Amino acid sequence: MAGNKDDILRGTLDLLVLKTLDTLGPLHGYGIARRIEQVSEDLLHLNQGTLYPALLRLEQRGWIRSRWGTSDNHRRARYYSLTRSGRRQLAQEAESWQRMAGMIGRVLQGVEE
Amino acid sequence: MSWLRTFVSRVSGMFRKASRERDLDEELRAHLELLTEENVRQGMPPAEARYAAVRAFGGVEQAKASYREQRGLPLIETLVHDLRCGLRQLGRSPVFAGVALGTLAIGIGANTAIFSVVYAVLLKPLPFRDPGQLVRVFEANDRAGLSGDACSYLEFQDWHRLNHAFSGMAAVQAHELTLTGRGDATVVRVGDVTADFFSVLGVAPAAGRAFLPSDDQPGGAPVAVISDDLWRDRFGADPALIGQSIDLDKRSFTVVGVLPRTFRFSFFEQGPSRQVWIPIVQDPFFGASAQMPTVHFFTAIARLKPGVSESQGRADLNALGAQLWPRYRPGDHGWSIRTASLRKAVTGDASAPLLLLLAAVGLVFLIACANVANLMLARATSRAREFAVRAALGAGRTRILRQLLTESAVLGLVGAAVGVAVAYWGVQALSGLLPPSLPRAESIRVDGTVLAFALALSIAAISLFGLTPALFASDPRLHSTLQKSAGRGGEGRGRQRARDLLVTAEVALAMVLLVGASSLIRSFAALIAVSPGFETRKILKAEVPLPRFLYSTPQQWIAFSDDVLARIQASPGLEDTAQALPLPLADRRLNMAFSIVNGPPLPPGRIDTADYVSISPNYFHVLGIPLLRGRTFAPRDAMSTPRVAIISREFARLHFPHSDPLGRQLIFGFPPETNTKREIVGVVGDVRDAALSQTPGPMMYVPFDQAPFWGIGLVVKTSSSATAAREIAAKVHQVDRDLPVTDIQWMSEAVNASVSQPRLRASLLGVFGAVALTLAAAGIFGVISYSVSRRTHEFGIRMAMGASESEVMRLVLNEALRLALSGVAVGIVLALGLTRLIASLLFGVRATDPSTIVMLPVLVTFAALLAAYVPARRATKVDPLVALRHE
Repeated sequence: MAGNKDDILRGTLDLLVLKTLDTLGPLHGYGIARRIEQVSEDLLHLNQGTLYPALLRLEQRGWIRSRWGTSDNHRRARYYSLTRSGRRQLAQEAESWQRMAGMIGRVLQGVEE
Repeated sequence: MSWLRTFVSRVSGMFRKASRERDLDEELRAHLELLTEENVRQGMPPAEARYAAVRAFGGVEQAKASYREQRGLPLIETLVHDLRCGLRQLGRSPVFAGVALGTLAIGIGANTAIFSVVYAVLLKPLPFRDPGQLVRVFEANDRAGLSGDACSYLEFQDWHRLNHAFSGMAAVQAHELTLTGRGDATVVRVGDVTADFFSVLGVAPAAGRAFLPSDDQPGGAPVAVISDDLWRDRFGADPALIGQSIDLDKRSFTVVGVLPRTFRFSFFEQGPSRQVWIPIVQDPFFGASAQMPTVHFFTAIARLKPGVSESQGRADLNALGAQLWPRYRPGDHGWSIRTASLRKAVTGDASAPLLLLLAAVGLVFLIACANVANLMLARATSRAREFAVRAALGAGRTRILRQLLTESAVLGLVGAAVGVAVAYWGVQALSGLLPPSLPRAESIRVDGTVLAFALALSIAAISLFGLTPALFASDPRLHSTLQKSAGRGGEGRGRQRARDLLVTAEVALAMVLLVGASSLIRSFAALIAVSPGFETRKILKAEVPLPRFLYSTPQQWIAFSDDVLARIQASPGLEDTAQALPLPLADRRLNMAFSIVNGPPLPPGRIDTADYVSISPNYFHVLGIPLLRGRTFAPRDAMSTPRVAIISREFARLHFPHSDPLGRQLIFGFPPETNTKREIVGVVGDVRDAALSQTPGPMMYVPFDQAPFWGIGLVVKTSSSATAAREIAAKVHQVDRDLPVTDIQWMSEAVNASVSQPRLRASLLGVFGAVALTLAAAGIFGVISYSVSRRTHEFGIRMAMGASESEVMRLVLNEALRLALSGVAVGIVLALGLTRLIASLLFGVRATDPSTIVMLPVLVTFAALLAAYVPARRATKVDPLVALRHE
């Protein structure tokens, strides 16, 4: 299964974007990129440009929507916000991540013992 | 459902690209600016801040590219891109595009047009319910060599009653009657049918009802069903006509139904298309003869029961025949009941010439494809560098192949579109040329099936001419192409050979077509050169049918004929006149059985027949048919005098080879004179009365005054061409102004019309042959031009070394000659193998005629050299300096 790793990364990025918009409300792309860099402590070495195809993908699925607005320094910017189905998706994803993380944690503990 | 949402938004993402691109640009620029400002805030100098921002962002163009991929549907967008690219490529080389499209349009158009005829005549199911179940039932006697298609009404009734394999059976026969009441008297085609006729075909009337079983009973009320165009033309589409009565030969019929507009029963398409259908038993003329066991003139049609095959049906009828023959043909052996699918019966012998045309036009198509393939190959070679560059920029092999195929597809589909337009025009033109005897010609049109055929053809074309160059062009040694010096991109030996092979094949196919065309043309020339045995110039013919309710006795028919002939003879503009029925080369012929008094006994089952004509005394004189022995008829040969007959030379040769026919007696005649003895008083020259292509058969003539018909066929010799027709009609109307005068025509035109099928065949094949030759010449031109342009350098060197212009010219022409001769050789071998297939369509010539075998190769070779001459001249104009400077 080639691309498995990519899939995982992509899923992770999706989750991070959704979580960011859930926490901070509407944000432009730059803001999202900054936030992800901060919270992931550069763990995910993000090429900021790759964010935009991901945003488009999420928008196509109907999880986020975008609208042109004005940024703090009076620049035109595109603001992304979470939709209702995006919120639902985030909840689902978060739960499955947690379940997965818990399982992996248990497995790893088992290995250590 | 998020995949659906994604799909929809991706589809919409393929449109309004410019504004989406602007948005993306702005968004990314804003991102970079924000990032730069942030870096400046953190103390970087502006230039460095900008640089750091770009680095952190990653490749802007890569981001955009993957964004675009996510936005739309890449597969479709590539296709659209390739299509656009293909169209642009075509637009960039208009000469190539024009030649290729023209070639394809001709190939596809001609094929589609001919196919539309073949489809309508041969393939399209008959317009009846479950037409595959319909058969024609007829009698045949192999021992006597008879395949009579007609049966008697009594036999038919037994078949109908006793068979087990058919769900329905009907009998039909057609003739003409005079319709009166509501306007002028007019002649209509009358179909005598049994009540089941329309239900067997599965045709329901558009208004009213069809026949009921009770309509078949003698003594029932006379009813009629009429055709749509009669209803419209004659009765103004009056819906109240149903229930009213019309008169046929003064017998009154109640109209009970009107047939659908599309109804055609192609057996009887000759004659007026305005038709009336009546039950056989009610026919004012033939109704009585339906009860006679010896009158065989009904065509039987039948519908097989579901699940019963035609051979099962035939077996059933044969078992039935075994019981019935002793009753209906006592003492006669060898008879059997046969069946044929109704479609085959309708199509008749139309299929062989049509299939020949289809094969011919198929060859044109192959030549056209080879031509375009050649053009594409040449182009692919000259575009080798373009592909090498594309490959170097990262286009995969499949991507390049796909682009090439898409270009071919664009070419093929545009070519097909133009071809369909050509076909549409061609069908219009063809339908004016088609002989009236072609069955089902009314249903020829460019319809869905024909369009599907054109599409299939274009796909075939695309794969034929698109794949070859594509395979060659995706040469894996691309880098070597790039390394070569500009301009003279090398052409592999394989590709060169492919081009030569294609051109050789073109020439060979053209050769085959030309052999076929020249055979048919020479055959047609031989056909019209043949003498019909009678004078055709300055002879006008016309027919006058007499309504039998007004002219009911033979005496009246004779009086009418004498009166009209006398009036015409007295007219100053009309020189000489006579009459005969049936006239030669008319669409009907009376073949009648006869026996010779004191003749040799015939083997059982054999019946002698000859064509029967009833004539006025002056007939042989007017038509210039020579009297070989004895005398012609005279006015004294009348009802009151002994019966006499005149026979043709062929008759005498067949039946009196060693004795004098004069004074011998024959027994023949129409009822009630079937057993009348007639003395032979003369022998006349042979006449091709059936068709120009048929050698004259035995004929016997009787005086009209002793064997009159209810009508006359006039032949009038006249020099005043313009007014003669009107004058003849006027003379007839002096006798009776209500009579229709039909089929007025110059005899020469009638002869011409009788050969319209072979004429059409010969001219179409001639056109196809010319097109094929032109295409093949164009192919030679293309190959030689290309080869000259590739060898410019070589020619330069040769000329620098002292070669003369004529030597260079010879060098180039030799190449063309080699291609042409190998094509001609292959073509002749192929043609010789194929000539057997058209032998049945030829008259008086053989396809393997030595003149054909010599003339055509010379013609083709000459055309090839002519095509090569232009590029060859160009080769001689090469300036050695310019050519060498290329290096």
